[in-house]
Amino acid sequence: MHRSMQILEVRGLSKRFGSIAALTDVGFEVRAGEVLGLIGPNGAGKSTLFECLGGVLPGDNGEIRAGGRAIHGRERSSLMFYVPDGVAPWPEQSVRWALDFTIGFFGGRADMLSQVVEELDLGRLLRQRIGTLSKGQRKRAMLAIGLLSPQPALLIDEPFEGLDLRQSREIAAALRGHATQGRTLFLSIHQIADAARFCDRFVLLSGGRVRGEGTVQELAALAQARGASKNSGGLEEVFLALT
Amino acid sequence: MPSPKRPSRKRRPFFWLLEKEWRELLVSRAWWALLLAIGPLVGFSFIGAMRTYAELSGLNGGAAGVGEAMAPLIGVWGPTFSACELAAIFLLPFVAIRVMAGDRQSGALKLELQHNMPAIVRIAAKMLALLAGWLIAMLAPLIALALWKSYGGTLYPPELAVLMAGHLLNAGLSIALAAAASSLTEHPSTAAIVTLGVTVGAWILDFVAAVQGGWWEKAAGYTPSAVVAQFQHGLVQLDVTLIALLLIAFGAGVAAIWVRLGVPVRRRVFESLGLTFAMALAIFTCSFTTPSWDASENRANSFPEPDQRALRQIHRPLKIVVHLAQEDPRRVDLERNALSKLRRAMPEVQVQYVALTSTGLFEQTSPNYGEIWFELAGKRITDRAVTAEAILESIYSVAGLTPPQDKDDETFRGHPLAIAPKGAGAIFYFVWPFTVLVSGLLVRRRFV
Repeated sequence: MHRSMQILEVRGLSKRFGSIAALTDVGFEVRAGEVLGLIGPNGAGKSTLFECLGGVLPGDNGEIRAGGRAIHGRERSSLMFYVPDGVAPWPEQSVRWALDFTIGFFGGRADMLSQVVEELDLGRLLRQRIGTLSKGQRKRAMLAIGLLSPQPALLIDEPFEGLDLRQSREIAAALRGHATQGRTLFLSIHQIADAARFCDRFVLLSGGRVRGEGTVQELAALAQARGASKNSGGLEEVFLALT
Repeated sequence: MPSPKRPSRKRRPFFWLLEKEWRELLVSRAWWALLLAIGPLVGFSFIGAMRTYAELSGLNGGAAGVGEAMAPLIGVWGPTFSACELAAIFLLPFVAIRVMAGDRQSGALKLELQHNMPAIVRIAAKMLALLAGWLIAMLAPLIALALWKSYGGTLYPPELAVLMAGHLLNAGLSIALAAAASSLTEHPSTAAIVTLGVTVGAWILDFVAAVQGGWWEKAAGYTPSAVVAQFQHGLVQLDVTLIALLLIAFGAGVAAIWVRLGVPVRRRVFESLGLTFAMALAIFTCSFTTPSWDASENRANSFPEPDQRALRQIHRPLKIVVHLAQEDPRRVDLERNALSKLRRAMPEVQVQYVALTSTGLFEQTSPNYGEIWFELAGKRITDRAVTAEAILESIYSVAGLTPPQDKDDETFRGHPLAIAPKGAGAIFYFVWPFTVLVSGLLVRRRFV
């Protein structure tokens, strides 16, 4: 799959919670095989955006498009799989069962089971109940569930949350490997340094609005066009300049 | 280090989901608590009922002979299975809420709903697992049946099948209610309050019906307690059964509408209103169906067969005007002993109650109060007796029929059993809880 080929496009997505506008006219595109980072401060609307894309929350307006047309329900869920943050699904069941269930129920990738378990260092946790896992262990189990899902695009909310530096790097390498094999990854990351190290392109979200989209260079150019100094070449400076 | 194995069995997603729901039930402490409680509950009811039955049958030199009129269905099985009714009202909803709301609480719902499976299929999987769990809980009364048989008691399979079907329907109603409440609310504790609120509401409906009569009485005939009461007497009424099934489907439908996460609330409200309207129409239609079957061995819900045959010869509409107030005990006796049987034998019979007050206390001086008028083809007979025999006599008289003879051959003689329930206490109070505890530990170890 060619990396510049668009796999999905979001247009005019809005979501309100009462008087609070969580997302306003959000639009961007996701390209096949890329690692796209959704970055923004706490409360920017990252998780809300992912939940709307994953079909967990209904959006008020806007559409998700693929192949030049709006997609809904079945088409959307066959295109992308959303891995939420901060959940402990099936807490009384073992990690091994959860992975088997993902493969069996979702029609996941049984051939990748051993590889994913090894990459995420889950071997010793397979018999452990999900409810007894630590935050970082649970995150790795959730990532395994996501990686075993059959959809071509994977939306992961805070993939490095709860992981130490070594684990973050190992998992980043594993995720990169899957992207290289053609998996599209769309990651919500609030640690900009992590995002800068790992992602191909970025969507900058602040106050529920998209402030910029593109590579670091493209975003830096955008920041300069909006009056930022020429020294704002790093992602952190670009982010500060644009938000 | 355990190595991962590929899931070797090729199964449809529904069966994966069914297995998952079953596993979730097996590791649910709420279900094991229900199992733990239902044994002693059933045991207490069974032992109490058996002692009474044995005494009436002549145990310890008691009133021997009285038991000859007693049927095991009324004397033993009704009380024994009433423990299941208690469990279905007060324990099963919590098990169901645990299974239904657990996915939402843990976040599993966010993952599972990304599968294209229709929501109603997901709810059906949960309800099937819960019904299977309930069937296992029904092992307790089945043990009571086995004990009764070992004591020399007789069993009449049709009435027992009807009794168990009634309790299965009641469990289905509890599960459907809990499913709807779990999906409508954000938290299991709120779902529990809603479920108990509906249960209390049904009791209030029963109370209001007893005072007000009319449409209230008609509606109260379909509450879970009324459904169970009919089945406990060995009676299967098509309208009651259909409406109970519709209510289960309604609960499942509401649960399916509200369990979906990515659908706007307004749309879900409209869908719920549409479903409510369709169900109300279906329930209203079903309420006019009249077929019924009396599966009890002692024909507790029917007149003797010769009377049934004689009543079928009356083809003109019979009108009965009853001058008794709603709360008058004679009216209750009349309904229970005669009119409920008459409606089954003559679906065209028209019964009209006439009273100025609900208690009748201040109507006793009224000249017509207490009278029952039988009107057929322009002829009227008045009587005051409320027994089945007197009512039949009046009907034969107004219809100009000769009462059937030789009824004694048809009389149910009863199955007296003057034996104390030896060993039942040990089984229900010690063996059952111990077995449940050990099984719970082994199963949790096996599945986790």
